[in-house]
Amino acid sequence: MTQQLTQRDVRDIATYARIGLTDEELEQMTVDLNNIIETLKPITEFDLDGVEPTFHPIGGLSNVMREDVEVPGFTQEQALANAPKQQDGSFLIPAILGGGDQ
Amino acid sequence: MKKLEEVLQDWEAVIGLEIHAELTTLNTKMFCGCKLEFGADPNTHTCPICLGLPGALPVPNKAAIESIVLAGLATNCDIEKHSMFYRKNYMYPDMAKNFQTTQGPVAFCMRGHLDLEVDGAGAKERIDLDGLKPGESQGNVTATEDGYVAHVGITRIHMEEDAGKMVHIGGDEGRIAGATHSLVDYNRAGTPLIELVTEPDLRTPEEARLFMQKLRQIYLAIGISDCSMEEGSMRCDGNVSLRRRGSTGLGVKTELKNMNSFKNLHDGLAYEICRQAQVLEEGGQIYQETRHWDPSAKRTIVMRVKETADDYRLFPEADLAPYDLTDEFIEGVRAKLPELPDQKAARFQESFGLSAYDARHLVEHRATSNFFEEGMKLAGDKAAKLAKPLANLAINDITARMNADESFDLAASPLTPARAVELVGLIATDAISSKQGKEVFAAVLDEDKDPSAIVEERGMKQVSDTGAIEAVVDAVVAAHPDEVARYKEGNTKLIGFFVGQCMKEMRGQGNPKVINQLLAKKLN
Amino acid sequence: MAYSANMNVADIRAGLAAGEFTAREVAEASFKRIEELDGDVHAFLELTKDAAFEQAAKIDAAIANGTFDQMGPLAGVPVAFKDNMNYEGTHTTCSSHMLENYVSPYTATCVAKTIEAGGIPLGKLNMDEFAFGSSTETSAFGPTKNPWDLERVPGGSSGGSAASVAAGLACVTLGSDTGGSIRQPASFCGIVGVKPTYGMVSRYGVVAFGSSLDQVGPFARSVRDAAAAMDAICGHDPMDCTSQYVKADFRAACEQGVAGMRIGVVPGFMDAPGLTDEVKARVAEATEALRAAGAEIVEVELPHADAAIAAYYVLGPCEAFSNLARFDSVRYGYCDEGHKDLGSQYEASRAAGFGMEAKRRIMLGSYLLSSGVYEKYYYPAQQVRTLITQDYQAAYEKCDVILAPTSPRTAFKFGEVGDPVEMHLADIFTVSINIAGNGGMSVPCGLGADSGLPVGVQLIAPQFKDENMFRAAAALEAVYGAAPIAPDFAAGKAGE
Repeated sequence: MTQQLTQRDVRDIATYARIGLTDEELEQMTVDLNNIIETLKPITEFDLDGVEPTFHPIGGLSNVMREDVEVPGFTQEQALANAPKQQDGSFLIPAILGGGDQ
Repeated sequence: MKKLEEVLQDWEAVIGLEIHAELTTLNTKMFCGCKLEFGADPNTHTCPICLGLPGALPVPNKAAIESIVLAGLATNCDIEKHSMFYRKNYMYPDMAKNFQTTQGPVAFCMRGHLDLEVDGAGAKERIDLDGLKPGESQGNVTATEDGYVAHVGITRIHMEEDAGKMVHIGGDEGRIAGATHSLVDYNRAGTPLIELVTEPDLRTPEEARLFMQKLRQIYLAIGISDCSMEEGSMRCDGNVSLRRRGSTGLGVKTELKNMNSFKNLHDGLAYEICRQAQVLEEGGQIYQETRHWDPSAKRTIVMRVKETADDYRLFPEADLAPYDLTDEFIEGVRAKLPELPDQKAARFQESFGLSAYDARHLVEHRATSNFFEEGMKLAGDKAAKLAKPLANLAINDITARMNADESFDLAASPLTPARAVELVGLIATDAISSKQGKEVFAAVLDEDKDPSAIVEERGMKQVSDTGAIEAVVDAVVAAHPDEVARYKEGNTKLIGFFVGQCMKEMRGQGNPKVINQLLAKKLN
Repeated sequence: MAYSANMNVADIRAGLAAGEFTAREVAEASFKRIEELDGDVHAFLELTKDAAFEQAAKIDAAIANGTFDQMGPLAGVPVAFKDNMNYEGTHTTCSSHMLENYVSPYTATCVAKTIEAGGIPLGKLNMDEFAFGSSTETSAFGPTKNPWDLERVPGGSSGGSAASVAAGLACVTLGSDTGGSIRQPASFCGIVGVKPTYGMVSRYGVVAFGSSLDQVGPFARSVRDAAAAMDAICGHDPMDCTSQYVKADFRAACEQGVAGMRIGVVPGFMDAPGLTDEVKARVAEATEALRAAGAEIVEVELPHADAAIAAYYVLGPCEAFSNLARFDSVRYGYCDEGHKDLGSQYEASRAAGFGMEAKRRIMLGSYLLSSGVYEKYYYPAQQVRTLITQDYQAAYEKCDVILAPTSPRTAFKFGEVGDPVEMHLADIFTVSINIAGNGGMSVPCGLGADSGLPVGVQLIAPQFKDENMFRAAAALEAVYGAAPIAPDFAAGKAGE
C-alpha cells in the first residue's frame, strides 16, 4: 500500500485545522488517515470525462432568496451568553499575533 | 530614495486593485435579517446566523443580489446567470463561521471595464506617452488634447460577506502587534460586501486613484453604498510589481493594504513603486508579501510574508441554492439603473455647451453636479451664458473648498445654487471683476448673505465706464514717462505694470478688460 | 385504559380524547420510566421536564375546552430529540466535550414543528460525537446500549433516538441521517427509522455534519407513527434555502396498499461483501412478503453503488471540516484557558474538545480539500454523485421503490468493530441514498436466525416520492406487525 501521508504531512494538516496532537496521536492519526485514504481509491478510478459534478443534491432548486426586511435578533446579553470570555460587550480573546499564529 | 518621476523613467509599474464596498444602503445583512448599522454598541445586531451558532443556516438577501447586478451593469460587466456561493475556509476570530461565504470561479459580474480620463499634472506620470498625438493609441491608452484615456479591465465583481470588527488592547495605539488581547464585535459580520478586482491594467498611482474615484462616483450614483473610506465601507488593496521599461514580463508583486483615502492610495502606491525600484536597482529581490501603508511615517511596512499561495480550501456552499438568474430579473435591475457619471458628463456637454474637461470634473462629485444642474434650472434663459462660469465656480472654487475641508457640506452651506447663479451673473455682466468675485464667494460662505448684498455693502461695483477709466489711464501714462519709453522700446511686459497702477488708482474696481484696451490704444 | 408506554400515536390520541388519561399523566409516566430504565440504556442526556409539563398542561386545557381535535398529528405523544438539535434553553452538546456547556439560544425548526404538532418533549438524546459514527460509542458522555442486548451497540449516530424508542422511553424521536445515521440504528434496534428526501425537512437549527447530505427524520415503533411525525415536520422553511414546498400526506399513503406497485431489487446488493446470511434471508423474505401483498418485483441495477462509500467518505469529511471550523473557543464551546496567544488557545481547545473520530474527519476533510488533492478526490466525488443520482433515476423508470438491506449485519458488541475503516463499511447500503438525496427508511423484518437480533429492510424512494416507501412499509408492517418494545423493557415489566 502506498503511503499517501507522512507524519510530517499529518502534522501540517493538524496545524492548518488548528488541532493540537500529541506524538502518539500523530502516529495513530497518520496510520488511520492513510488507511482511510486507501479506501477512497475507487473515486480515482472512474472515467469521469464530461460528467458534470453535482454540488447541490436536489437539482432544479435555484435563486432562493429572502426580502431585505429586518428581523429581531439577539440582545447583547444573549449574544454573549455562551462566550467563554467577554469584556465590555465583546468577545474577549488572547493576542492574535503570537507563537501559534502564522 | 528616488522620486516617482525619476523611477518611472526606467521602470514601468503594473498595478491591479481589489476594491471592497459594503452595501450600506440595504436594511439587513447578507444572510440574515439583522440590521445594518454603523457605530452601534458591540454585538447588538447579531443572531444565530451571523454569530455562526451551530445549526444556523444562511438565506441570501435578494436586494444585495440586485445591488451587485446593478454594480455590474454600471461597470460594463457581463452578468453571469449561472453562479454559486463557495466557502473560503480559514480560521480568524472576526469570521464567526471560520469560513467566508463568497463566490467561486464564476462571479455574478465578469469582464467589465471603465475608461479613465487622465489630464493635468496626473497625466504626466505616464512618461511613456510623450509624443503620442491626440487620437493616437498605445496599448490600452488613447491620447487626448489634455491627457489620455485609459481603458481599464475589470476581471470580476463578486458577492461576499464582511467580517466582524476587532479592537486590539494592551499594545500601542490599538495595533494588533504588541496587543495582549482583542475584543470581537460581530455587528459588522455578515454585512453584504462586493469585491471588484481589476485587471493589472493600471500603470501609475494617479490612474489607480482615478479608478477608485470613478468607481466611487458610480457606486454613489447607483446608490448601493455610502462609500465612506473613513468608516471603511469602501476599501482598496493594491497589487504592485515593477518591470524594466520595454520588458513585458511580470515582476514579483507585493500587496498593499490600508490605503483608506484617495491620497493614501496614490501616495502608498507611489512609495511602494519607489521602494521596489530601489531594492531592484541595488540588486535585491522583491518578496511576495503583504505590506501596510503607514501615512504618518510615509512608508510601507511588511505585515505578512507569503511563502506559499494561500490555500483557502474553496468549495461550493451546499447550504445555499445555486443561481440561475432570469432575463426578467436582470432587466428588472437594469431598469433601475440611473444616469451614470459618464452619461451625465455627456449630457452636460450636449445641453450646456460645456467642454469635455469641465463636464468631466463637474461630475466628479455628486454634490457639484447636482449643484450645477440646480443652478442651470434657476438661470432660466441665461443658462447658456452662465453655464461655463457656473461650471468653473463648481470645479475650481467649490471643489477647492471641499478638498480643503472634508466636513464641508455643499448642500447645507450658505452658498445656494441661487446665490451662485447670482454671483456668476454679476461677473458675467461686468458688474464686478472676477477678482472681486472671489471675495464675494468667500463672503457668502462666511456671512450667509446674498452676493448682491455683499457687493452693495462693500461698494464693489466694477467701473466699466470708458470715460472714467480713460482719465485714469491718461494720468498713469503721464506720471510714468520712463516706463512709457521702455515700453515703446519693446519691453511689452510692462503692460502689467500699467494695468496694476490703474487698478490701484481705481481701488480695484476698474474693469481690467477696458483698462487693457485703453492702455493698448494710448501706448501704441 | 390507562396510558402505557407501548401505546402508539393513535392510541394516545384516542385515550386522551376519551378522557381515559391526561397528558400530564403521559408526561409523568414517561419520566418515571426514563428514571427507572434509562440507567441501563443511557439514551437521554438531558430531560426537559418543565417544557413537557407546560406542553401537557396546554393539551389538557385543549381537551377541557373542546379544541383537542384541532391539535396536530403528535398531540400528547412523548417525543425526544437527538442532541444535535437546538432547543432553546437546553444544552445542545452533540455528545461532545466541545459543547458540554453550550445552552441553545434558539430552537431548530424540526423541534419547533414537533412541539407545535402537540408532542410532549421529554429531552435530548445521546449520539455519536457530532454524528461521526455508527455505534454511539464516540459519544463523549458514554455509549448508549441496545435495549435488545445491553452488551451491544444501538447503532449510530442517532443511537439514543433509536434506543429510547426501542426501550419504550419515548414514542417518537427525531434523529439525523448523513450516511445512514437514522436507518442503521433503527435496524439495530428493531424499529422504524425514516430519512426523508433531502429538502423535505428543514435542517435549520440542526448542528451540521455534511450540509449536502444531512437530513432530519423520525423514529417510531410503527410505520403509521413515523408517518404522523413526518406529516408534522416536513415542509418548506424560509430559514433553510434547501428545504422545499412539499404537499404530502404520509398517513394516507400508509392506507394505500402495494397492489400494482413495482418494487425494485438490486441483485448485486445480495452479493455484497460482509452481508450476513441471516440478514440476506430476512430481506429475501420481506421481498416475497411484498410480492404476496400484490406488488411486482423487478430487478434494477445501480452500477455505481460500489463507489458510493468512497464518495461519501470524501464529501462527508470535507463538509464536516468546514462545518466544525466554527468551534474555536471564541463565541461558545470549550475553551482551554490561560494561553497568551489565540493560536495556542485554538489548538488546545480543539484538541481537548473534540474526540478522535471528530479529529480524524476534520483532518481528512482538510486534507481532501487542499490544493491539488481537491482535484483528485473532491471534484471526482461530486461527479460520481452525478452518476449515482443518474443510476437511481434510471432505476425508478422501472420501479416505484427499491428494497435493500439496511445494514449488512445485526447489532455488534461494544468494541467489536474498532477499526475506523471497518466501521465505515457498516454504511455500505445507506450512503448512496444520501449522496443521491433520495428518501430511505428502515422497517423491521423479523429477527436474525443466528443472532436473534432485529433485522431491518430498507425501502428507498425517488426524490420527493417518499409516500412510495411508506406504502411499502405499511404493507410490510401488515405482515410483521408493529415493532414491539425490546423484550427486556416491555411495558408492564417496569413502570406503567
